[in-house]
Amino acid sequence: MTAGYGRQGVWRGWDRFDYLLVTAALCLVGLGLVLIYSGSVRTYSGPVASFDNPVAKQAVFALVGIGLMLLISKLDYHYLTHYAWVLYGVAIVSLLAILAIGHTAYGSTRWFNLGPLQIQPSEFAKLATILTLARFFSEHGGDARELRALVMSLLIVAPMGFLVFIEPDLGTALVFLAIWLGVVAVGGVSRRHLLVVGALAVAVLPFVWTFAVADYQVERISVLVNPDEDPLDAGYTVIQSQIAVGSGQFWGKGLTNGEQTQLRFLKVPTKDFIFSVLAEELGFAGAIGLFALFILLLMRGIRAAQLAGDTAGQLIAVGIVVLILMQTFINIAVNVSLFPVTGIPLPFVSQGGSSLVSLFVSMGIMQSVIMRHRAYRQT
Amino acid sequence: MSILDDRYRGAPTPSRNRPHGNLTALRVAVLLVFGLLTARLVSMQLVDGATYAKRSRENHIVSTNILPPRGLILGRDGTPLVQNIGVYTASVTPELLPKSQADRHKIYLRLEELVGVPSLEVQSRVQQAEDDGRPDLPIPVQKYLSKEQALMLDEATTGMPGVALTVTPGRNYIGSDAFSHIIGYIGAQTPREYAQLKGEGYQLNEPVGKSGIEGRYESELRGSAGVSQVEQDAQGQLLDVLKTRDPAPGNSLRLAIDPGLQEFVAELLDNSMGEAKIAAAVVLSPRTGEVYALVSLPSYDANIFAQPDQRSSEYNALANDPRKPFLDRALTAEAPGSTFKLITAAAALQEGTITPATGRTVNSTVLEFKGENGVIYPLYDWRAHGFLNLRSAIAWSSNIYFYMASCGIPNEGIKGLGKDFEDSAWKLGAYARAFGLGQPTGIDLDGEMAGVVPSPDQKRKAFAGSQFNENDRDWFYADTCFMGIGQGDVSATPLQIARVTAAVANGGKLLTPRLVKDVTSPDGKILKSMKSESKQVPISAENLAVIRDGMHESVGYGAGLRAQTAGIDIAGKTGTAEFGPVKSDGKRDQHAWFTGFAPFNSPDVVVTVYFDLGVGGDKAAPTASKIFDYFFKNVKP
Repeated sequence: MTAGYGRQGVWRGWDRFDYLLVTAALCLVGLGLVLIYSGSVRTYSGPVASFDNPVAKQAVFALVGIGLMLLISKLDYHYLTHYAWVLYGVAIVSLLAILAIGHTAYGSTRWFNLGPLQIQPSEFAKLATILTLARFFSEHGGDARELRALVMSLLIVAPMGFLVFIEPDLGTALVFLAIWLGVVAVGGVSRRHLLVVGALAVAVLPFVWTFAVADYQVERISVLVNPDEDPLDAGYTVIQSQIAVGSGQFWGKGLTNGEQTQLRFLKVPTKDFIFSVLAEELGFAGAIGLFALFILLLMRGIRAAQLAGDTAGQLIAVGIVVLILMQTFINIAVNVSLFPVTGIPLPFVSQGGSSLVSLFVSMGIMQSVIMRHRAYRQT
Repeated sequence: MSILDDRYRGAPTPSRNRPHGNLTALRVAVLLVFGLLTARLVSMQLVDGATYAKRSRENHIVSTNILPPRGLILGRDGTPLVQNIGVYTASVTPELLPKSQADRHKIYLRLEELVGVPSLEVQSRVQQAEDDGRPDLPIPVQKYLSKEQALMLDEATTGMPGVALTVTPGRNYIGSDAFSHIIGYIGAQTPREYAQLKGEGYQLNEPVGKSGIEGRYESELRGSAGVSQVEQDAQGQLLDVLKTRDPAPGNSLRLAIDPGLQEFVAELLDNSMGEAKIAAAVVLSPRTGEVYALVSLPSYDANIFAQPDQRSSEYNALANDPRKPFLDRALTAEAPGSTFKLITAAAALQEGTITPATGRTVNSTVLEFKGENGVIYPLYDWRAHGFLNLRSAIAWSSNIYFYMASCGIPNEGIKGLGKDFEDSAWKLGAYARAFGLGQPTGIDLDGEMAGVVPSPDQKRKAFAGSQFNENDRDWFYADTCFMGIGQGDVSATPLQIARVTAAVANGGKLLTPRLVKDVTSPDGKILKSMKSESKQVPISAENLAVIRDGMHESVGYGAGLRAQTAGIDIAGKTGTAEFGPVKSDGKRDQHAWFTGFAPFNSPDVVVTVYFDLGVGGDKAAPTASKIFDYFFKNVKP
């Protein structure tokens, strides 16, 4: 606490607030609003200021998210790691609850219906897992070098991943796995240990495939390999997104001019397939712009991990970076047929309150890490 | 602090609570992920972008072909001989049927009720299509619905997803059966035809001309299909009509055929049949080659082909009829008999073997000719004609005179056409070919027979099979003699004989006969007038005049007497060709022929009549006379 940073109260730490990180996130949200508008312009014709208007609804969630981000930035992230196990417990309970009473859509149970809001507890669970892992490693040696610590950390993630997997939500389960992998990698896992765990996973995979992966997932994967086999059912989505993306060519067809989007060949164009809208209407150029924003955001997130004052802060930042990276990758990979269709939203861009709010919350936590890195830096 | 604090403590490490992670790997991971995605986008959007853009257009732009109205076929006087009608078909698209078998069965039953196609049949065809992996193609389950059925089905289809009523262009042949061989018919494309026609832009549901004028002039009659492009959304809802190109109707064809004459001749032949079962007649212009009438009996109703399912028993009866009604007898080669003597006379005159004044007294119906190696052939004439010159020999159709003119009478020292009997056959054959025998006439119809002009080589080939012996294959003196009177292996179609007659009548022009007079645009403008090709036969005008005289005398007092018609100066030649085995009464069956032209001084029309059984002068000549009579009273040349 040097003189230069001597401000008190609410103003303390804001000079270290990462405005570039937030700008990248806000640009993505802005782009998302434009694409949501384009993806819904033919289906929504009600008043602009209405909660039924997907653009307005998303904007409201964005404002709520930004507010929460600012609040959480002010909050010492150690409050969160302190209650990490409580958050973890709540997440487990909510994931169990959703299996019992959740809302089923597209053959998968992922939401709670709360009036006009649909709450997706897995979004919350991802953050809870990151915080719990950070807490675990910060207390127990601060690294994952020890096999016992590695296995323990896996046991933290596994119940979450399993509960999400049986929803079923293969994509989110993979995100959990990636978060764990990212955190333990930065936490200094021994390659040998990782190989053992990896070998075990490979050995278990056939059983998972046979007993746990739903038929529709198998179908989606096989459809990805040969989409023309079943062009009107499972392959339809894949083919239509391929056509949308490919036909955008370099400059795209112009906003609200993409036939694939506007004539409803794309399913869920404001959510899982919003990238196809972007690629069709704004083309390769637009996609590269989007990539640039994500790279900026993620690099700033890695910077936060670099700056972090302690292991907890660093692993939180790493977890959030991996979370966003993995979700972005899976979502876009689905859109360009590199991955089977699975319901992962594009971070900050896709329509969806739970995702957006939880992402802004994670941005807030990251800011909290950045703003406090000097306070916790140990020499 | 933690709920696990008391139970688990990791081993203390020197780096406790100090960040030590290596973040380079994470930075590399970020760049790799976006590098991979960028590479994928380069491939999809930049490399394959144009292909995807095309697929995107096809996705929402639905092109439908609008089939053009087919060109009409009119008679010489403008009478339409065909009518365009809609053919109503009930079709089922498996993909659009309800998924539940029970719902489908209800639809099949309703379909059975409406159009009479058994529900089990529909079910198995749907099953077949689904098994074959083409559930998106409509299956025509019942074609040629009646108007009432079509109306009822049209109303019912709204409640029957997957069932549709389609209309494709069809033809109604409104001329009588007399026109069937000429006009032909249209029908659905066979898979093989489709494979070929696809390249010409044909749709699978587009009918094509199968035979006759419909087949030969398909490219004129078809017109060009129109296109309607509409924009549809993913639910198949029509959003916008993008562009429509109207179909261009096909061109109409005006035939040289006089519908009245055609029907008259068909009816006349039918009434004149007697013992005969098959008949044909050709009426054509010796000036232009236009065919005024081309009749073949028995005939059939061309509309049968438009309703193959409903009229299958009629079709089967026709297909199994030993008279082969589908065969156009005017284009089928038979022994021409004495009509061939026109060619023998022309050849002998031109070769100088005989002159118009060359005489021969035929006092007996049999003459013994000495052939090769002293073999004696008794050759017969049909009557003792007395003294003949060339003209009266044509008039009376003397066989012995024309034996003399073709193969010669070696034992009397009379030479034939050539230096020996084989050479004579070659020479006669060459003249026959010059008159268009042994090859199709080139009329604008398919399925025309070439006929046979015999020669030593031809005989060797024709009898090459192991069931024949060397004697069958050898060419003998008598072969040349029989050829000279249009017997032996000579065969010619009535159209070929009419063409020969026209060449004699018009001073030596061998015309290609043709049915279509002109091609007119849909609004009636003449686009092109057909012209017959012609070539000169190698016979001098004087020699042809002698032959015409002989034909004139034939009708004047000779074998063709019964062709005489009040007020018309007719010249002609009869033919009675023996064919088949010798019967129990020692005779063989005979074809009856008459071919002639009128008026004698300035020929306007050639008439050739053929009956499969009968005597030329008794049967064919009087029939031809009535045709001449009708022609000059009713048809303007």
